[in-house]
Amino acid sequence: MTGILDGIIEALELIITGDPVLYGAVFNSLFFSGVAVILAALWGLPIAMLLALKNFRGKTVIQTFFNSLIGVPTVALGLFLFLIFSREGLFGFLGLIYTPAVVIIGQAVLITPIIISIATTALEAVDPEIINLARTLGASESQASIAVMKEATNGLLLSGVASFNRAIAELGVVLIVGGNIVGLTDVLTTAIAQHTAIGNLGLAIALGIILMVIVFSINAFIVLARKIKTLFYGLNIPIFNLEGKNHENSL
Amino acid sequence: MQMWQKLIIVAALTTLIVMAGTIVFFNNFAKRRLIISTTTSLYDTGLLEAVEKDYEAKHPSVDVNIISAGTGIAIEHAKNGDADLILVHSPVQEKIFLEENWGVNRKIIAYNYFTIIGPQADPAEISGKTANEVLDRIVAYGDSLADQSGQTKIWISRGDNSGTHAKEKSLWTAAGYDYAVISAKPWYANVGSGMGHTLNVANQLSVYTIADIGTYLKFYSEGTISLPSLVTEEESLLNVYSVMAVNPDMHKHVNYDDAMNFIAYLASPETQQFIGNYGKSDYGQSLFYGTVQPLKDKAPQPIVGWIQSAAFIEGSECPPQYRNGSAELYG
Amino acid sequence: MKTAFELHNVTKNYGNKTVLHGVNLKVSQGEILALLGPNGSGKSTILKIMAFLEGITSGEVYFENEGVSEKNSEVFRSQCTLVFQKTTLFDTSVYDNVAYGLKVRKVPKNQQEQAVKEALKIVKLEGFEKRPAKKLSGGEQQRVAIARALVLKTKLLLLDEPTANLDPKNAAILEEVIAKVNRENKTTIVMATHNMFQAETLPHRIALIDEGKITEIGTPVEVFGKLSKNLARFAAVDNTFSGTAQLTAEGTTLVDLGGGVRVEVTAQLQGEASIFVNPQDIILSKEAIHSSARNTFKGKITEITDFDSLVKLKVDVGKPFLIQITKRSFNEMALNLGSDVYITFKASSVQVF
Repeated sequence: MTGILDGIIEALELIITGDPVLYGAVFNSLFFSGVAVILAALWGLPIAMLLALKNFRGKTVIQTFFNSLIGVPTVALGLFLFLIFSREGLFGFLGLIYTPAVVIIGQAVLITPIIISIATTALEAVDPEIINLARTLGASESQASIAVMKEATNGLLLSGVASFNRAIAELGVVLIVGGNIVGLTDVLTTAIAQHTAIGNLGLAIALGIILMVIVFSINAFIVLARKIKTLFYGLNIPIFNLEGKNHENSL
Repeated sequence: MQMWQKLIIVAALTTLIVMAGTIVFFNNFAKRRLIISTTTSLYDTGLLEAVEKDYEAKHPSVDVNIISAGTGIAIEHAKNGDADLILVHSPVQEKIFLEENWGVNRKIIAYNYFTIIGPQADPAEISGKTANEVLDRIVAYGDSLADQSGQTKIWISRGDNSGTHAKEKSLWTAAGYDYAVISAKPWYANVGSGMGHTLNVANQLSVYTIADIGTYLKFYSEGTISLPSLVTEEESLLNVYSVMAVNPDMHKHVNYDDAMNFIAYLASPETQQFIGNYGKSDYGQSLFYGTVQPLKDKAPQPIVGWIQSAAFIEGSECPPQYRNGSAELYG
Repeated sequence: MKTAFELHNVTKNYGNKTVLHGVNLKVSQGEILALLGPNGSGKSTILKIMAFLEGITSGEVYFENEGVSEKNSEVFRSQCTLVFQKTTLFDTSVYDNVAYGLKVRKVPKNQQEQAVKEALKIVKLEGFEKRPAKKLSGGEQQRVAIARALVLKTKLLLLDEPTANLDPKNAAILEEVIAKVNRENKTTIVMATHNMFQAETLPHRIALIDEGKITEIGTPVEVFGKLSKNLARFAAVDNTFSGTAQLTAEGTTLVDLGGGVRVEVTAQLQGEASIFVNPQDIILSKEAIHSSARNTFKGKITEITDFDSLVKLKVDVGKPFLIQITKRSFNEMALNLGSDVYITFKASSVQVF
């Protein structure tokens, strides 16, 4: 028991004094997961829009496929990506194994089905007349799509948050394709696993505390943001006001 | 063009930019990467991190990336070309690795001992015995247990193809047992995990296991585990660490030059001394001993003899055909 | 007068179902044209084609004498706007709703603000800019939707049942607005409606639509005068029925609407007749009431539409009657779908054509 108590005290010391290994892993975690969410949103949103707003043959099959991908164990995905990005693999020539890029891509692949699933549900929940409404008010096809997305803001934010949480709490993919290289590809989860295994309980606890704080505060922020969203009506807060910046036929 | 089509193009471009950016960065702007795949014991004790810092301070243009995974995985990484250099402690696997041309320039750089640890009460009475006697007594004790249902365990194995696991297997074989039979015993547990985790499990269950002395001492001295070391410093428990560069003929892209430089650095008198002193102040004893000078001096005996018989391949730490023209490394 | 919009021999199929059969329709600039027809007759489809939201299967469409095709429809789309029957709002502030069309047209910000202010004034929602649109009452929401269309000052304004779901107060405001923009801005207006009075007073011309065809077109006087039977037959407007009139011994007339419903009217006539009963003139009760009113029928509630202060009910007494009562009465009477009720109205409140 004293070991655990000492560990907690040491953890607090490390957090307060700004231990470089600790905060390196914190930065990597936030950075990798953040970029992964952006990438996954970019891949996932068009697919979600297709699934939610268009009717085509095989739609259910695709939807089922992505829904079942959510359940794939991360180590299995990690292994799959390792086989692709390892020097002997299909994309081995890129030399991306054990680099932040492959960690980010790995996490993005992992969370894309989550984004697709939640975003599709959110977009499907939008009044189907919204797209016609935007059109009849003079919107181009792109602007009309943005209007639909804006109506689904809450759901889309939720998909981003849920997938960010999944990415930052993920271990298998990062460990296998990132290699947990200190200062390069170590993140909170891999560092926790590593330092628990080698008996650095203090650092492991400190990492764990920070991981929990990050996950909790992001969730709290989103709950709060949804509650006070109406307070922002009329103010030009970009996150709630997507259509202003997008002009016809521009990307 | 429709919105989703635009988005797909943006997504594809962004992905390409992330990948291309990383490639360009590592090829042109970053320091030269030297990827070392290593057995966990060297890393978990903190030795390799200390060595890495010292090496990077002396070679500012090189970024040493350490992947700590165990001997089996380290060798797999090297075969895939995912590492430039490996640090391992499994002479049998190393010999095959060299013979299959995956690696070159093997250099024995350090040794210490495995230790067999167990509960303070030592119900199998193994303390102070030789490795063969220890295993006999473990088997006798395990088979004599009333509970043969698999609920009661007395021996924990890494079971992860690591150097320590390989050592354990070779000890069972040397003591005259069939490892397949032993590992199927109801009192035998396989955790399939690293040394630290295995030690934690052994401590929780209060059972016997074999550990590398470095990791064991770190855990023991910090109070993480309380199982005492019952047997150590015995020829059959000798643990020899070697370094090998990945053969550039097998993988064109490997950073062979820095790998060779790193091997020479490890073998240098300063680093050898650094290795020998590592952990003395924290644990009251050395975790590792340098091998380069003893092998040159052929002293002290009997340790040099033990190292030669345990870890030499064709009478040498690296037979000439695997030296890749770097004879100076072998004096 | 110049032609604002023309449909020439337009046919529209959804899958293998034909909803418009060779429709020919000319809308003159500056006129108000009402489309009258039962549900599913093709009114909404015509409006959607005119709003460039739907393509056509065959035929030709001209916007101010210019041919419209799939390719250039996006260009024309900005010159007209459609207000849906079901109020649809963006989940944001009133201001952002009304300003949406101006934003996509890249109107400068200060002009946007001015235009939104004016439009809200027209629909009597001054100062509502920062309110969350979806938190408004139903009538206010529909007025926001109208303001959002008006602010664009398009040449052509399309309205699909603009007052169908409104209480009389909000409906009156909207009718006033429609008349005003037509008068002051010379906006061409095409609207679909079910409302008898609206169809009589607002439009310059009425087009009757039945089963995807325009059967009659003309001024309200012409259509309501000459074609009343036709009008009632396909129930283009609520509480309009046709039947056979029979003089009684008492000197009144009984009109047999079929389905066992015989309505007593004060006018004296024989033969085919159409009648209309204003929903506000019908008394609803849970028990049969004895009164001077000559018409009492028992039926079941088949539809309930809830407004702010009013409830519209459809009561099937053999024929569907629309009844309008206050929310308070509705609550006090504890009515539900399927409730047995009686409807009562005077013979003198029945209009006969």
